[in-house]
Amino acid sequence: MKSKMILGAVLGAVMSAGAALAADKEIMIGYQAPFSGDRSQYGEMFRNAAAIKLAEFNASGKLPGATVSIAYEDSKDDPKEARNIARKFLDNPKIVGVIGDFSSTVSMAAAEIYATEKMPQLSQTASHPDFTKISPWQFRNITTQAFEGPYNADWILSKGLKTAAVIYIQNDWGISALEGFVDGYKAKGGKIVATETFNPGNRDFRSILTKVARQKPDVIYLAMFYEEGAALAQQREQLGITIPLYGTSSLYSPKLIELGRASVNDLHLATTFTPDNPDPAVQTFVKEYVARHKAEPSMFAAQAYDAVGIMLDAVAAAGPSVTRETLRDALAKTTNYPGVTGATSFDPATREPTKSLAKMVVKDGKFQVIGEP
Amino acid sequence: MIFDIFLLQQVINGLSIGFVYALMAIGFTLIFGVLNVVNFAHGEVYTIGAFIGLMVITALAPPLVAVVPLVLAAGALSGVGLERLAFRPFRRFTDEASQKSRAMREATLLSSLAVSIIAREIMMHLFGGDMQGVPSDYLLQRPVAIGPIMVATGSLVIFATSAVMLGALQFLLYRTQTGLGIRAVSNNQLGARYVGIDTDRTIVTTFAVGSMLGATAGILVGLYDGAISPHMGFAPGVKAFVAMVMGGLSSIPGAVACALLLGVSESIATEFLSSGWKDLITYSLLVITLVFFPQGIFGHGRERA
Repeated sequence: MKSKMILGAVLGAVMSAGAALAADKEIMIGYQAPFSGDRSQYGEMFRNAAAIKLAEFNASGKLPGATVSIAYEDSKDDPKEARNIARKFLDNPKIVGVIGDFSSTVSMAAAEIYATEKMPQLSQTASHPDFTKISPWQFRNITTQAFEGPYNADWILSKGLKTAAVIYIQNDWGISALEGFVDGYKAKGGKIVATETFNPGNRDFRSILTKVARQKPDVIYLAMFYEEGAALAQQREQLGITIPLYGTSSLYSPKLIELGRASVNDLHLATTFTPDNPDPAVQTFVKEYVARHKAEPSMFAAQAYDAVGIMLDAVAAAGPSVTRETLRDALAKTTNYPGVTGATSFDPATREPTKSLAKMVVKDGKFQVIGEP
Repeated sequence: MIFDIFLLQQVINGLSIGFVYALMAIGFTLIFGVLNVVNFAHGEVYTIGAFIGLMVITALAPPLVAVVPLVLAAGALSGVGLERLAFRPFRRFTDEASQKSRAMREATLLSSLAVSIIAREIMMHLFGGDMQGVPSDYLLQRPVAIGPIMVATGSLVIFATSAVMLGALQFLLYRTQTGLGIRAVSNNQLGARYVGIDTDRTIVTTFAVGSMLGATAGILVGLYDGAISPHMGFAPGVKAFVAMVMGGLSSIPGAVACALLLGVSESIATEFLSSGWKDLITYSLLVITLVFFPQGIFGHGRERA
């Protein structure tokens, strides 16, 4: 219902604007995401953020002679639904590009249809390595550990920390984080002195920390989530170990500080989005989101906001006579899109995003953005 | 292996985690000793103790010593409730055949498991699945340096508590009338009835005492760990169970000794293996014990009817 109201409002705006400008062309973007079922909170955030970006874009005058609207469809986080929606979007000649879906599995189900029928698809969150390999029509606006690991490795090496120990969680994600970091660190001349893994649910890191401390690394790199990160930081403090901690963006949660308290002070991590980033683009988005929805936007809302922004800028670049082909080519040329999740570029060959991440450190019980290049 | 200060630190780390297992194993073994069945809900009593403690701390902010009696009371209450819900219904037949029936006794395996699942889900519903932080004034995490070795205040508190619990329990069991009753029921429930012991009351008392110990363990470990969640009882529950089996099922000092052995073995093993393998150490020790000491290391070949 709400989506129809938003669409209606947008169409109303389009018509009144159209009356003034005489026969504005109407261009549509399809947005598929879960709006019902147990993943619906994500779809809701995407739609909230997308509406803000769309309103900004249509008010900006970047695309004279045309207005853009978004058609939302509920995929229920179900691959079958996603395929039906893909057919529906393909049959609508006004739709030139699609954003979505939420999970990698569902995005990839739809991607197979978009690949054969030639529709550009940009997912805000699908992080499976194979998603962008399906065809030249798939793009994503989320970085993976294959990007984040080397990014953090560079950062750590730039601080003169030449030997590292890695502690990672024993699951697919943890292993990808380990590999991403180790490859990047070794390639730039760093030395890995220890890699230690633990099972999900483990709460006692004293043995691991003691073993790692014996190797005297310059830095300990953590690939884990906040529950474990907080416990590890506390036990490190108790053991009197003072080796600095760096970690993956997965540690970025207010809960890390709530649980870890003073022990997580001085932990460094880099993330795509933080509402505390003083960057004016981020602050404009946060202010507008809070005004509309009475809550700070999450990383997911920010991903969607930028995905819509990238798609709309590509539409503007292709001009009012945009087609699915010209939109794909424009998307592939995206460079340094000034988003709230960092300046984003797509690699024209792999269609993988690179972003400038926000570097943060925990200080005085808060995540603080460090103004470093 | 390198014999250095880090290895000594590993032994201390192992003892700290071993005492966490021991703290839980004491109550577990006490209840097993009397009923000869596993109380699967002991982990939830431990979790309830932690949550009640946290609620008292956040609501009233009393000194830590005042938290303990309230947690003890909550533990006793949940123990009595647990016995009523999951164990008593299977003792309603008093004829000799039912009293000796294994099936009747072992049905409580499932009923206690059911109560534990329900209790955990209710806690999930009330508090959410996330970890809850503990106010920093109450954390038992201050590092204490003993020479070059570091321990946390929590380890010392847990060590002292285990020692006191063990001592008090031995006193209760061997120096008091109640203890005599518990030992009689533990030895032969039917015989105890014949000589005029109120077995129902003795069993309720055992549950109350065992659960008081379990709940205290929960809040202490919560304060030591710095986080409390509805799932916190599971992992130490499994280790406490292994310690109990290794220790000979009904020997409380045996369970404590085996809990410490488990903790130290896991910790030393991290020196050779990735810590992802540490559960393998626990279960290997269990299998080795059962192969070579079928009665447990500290069991005394008592016949089980």
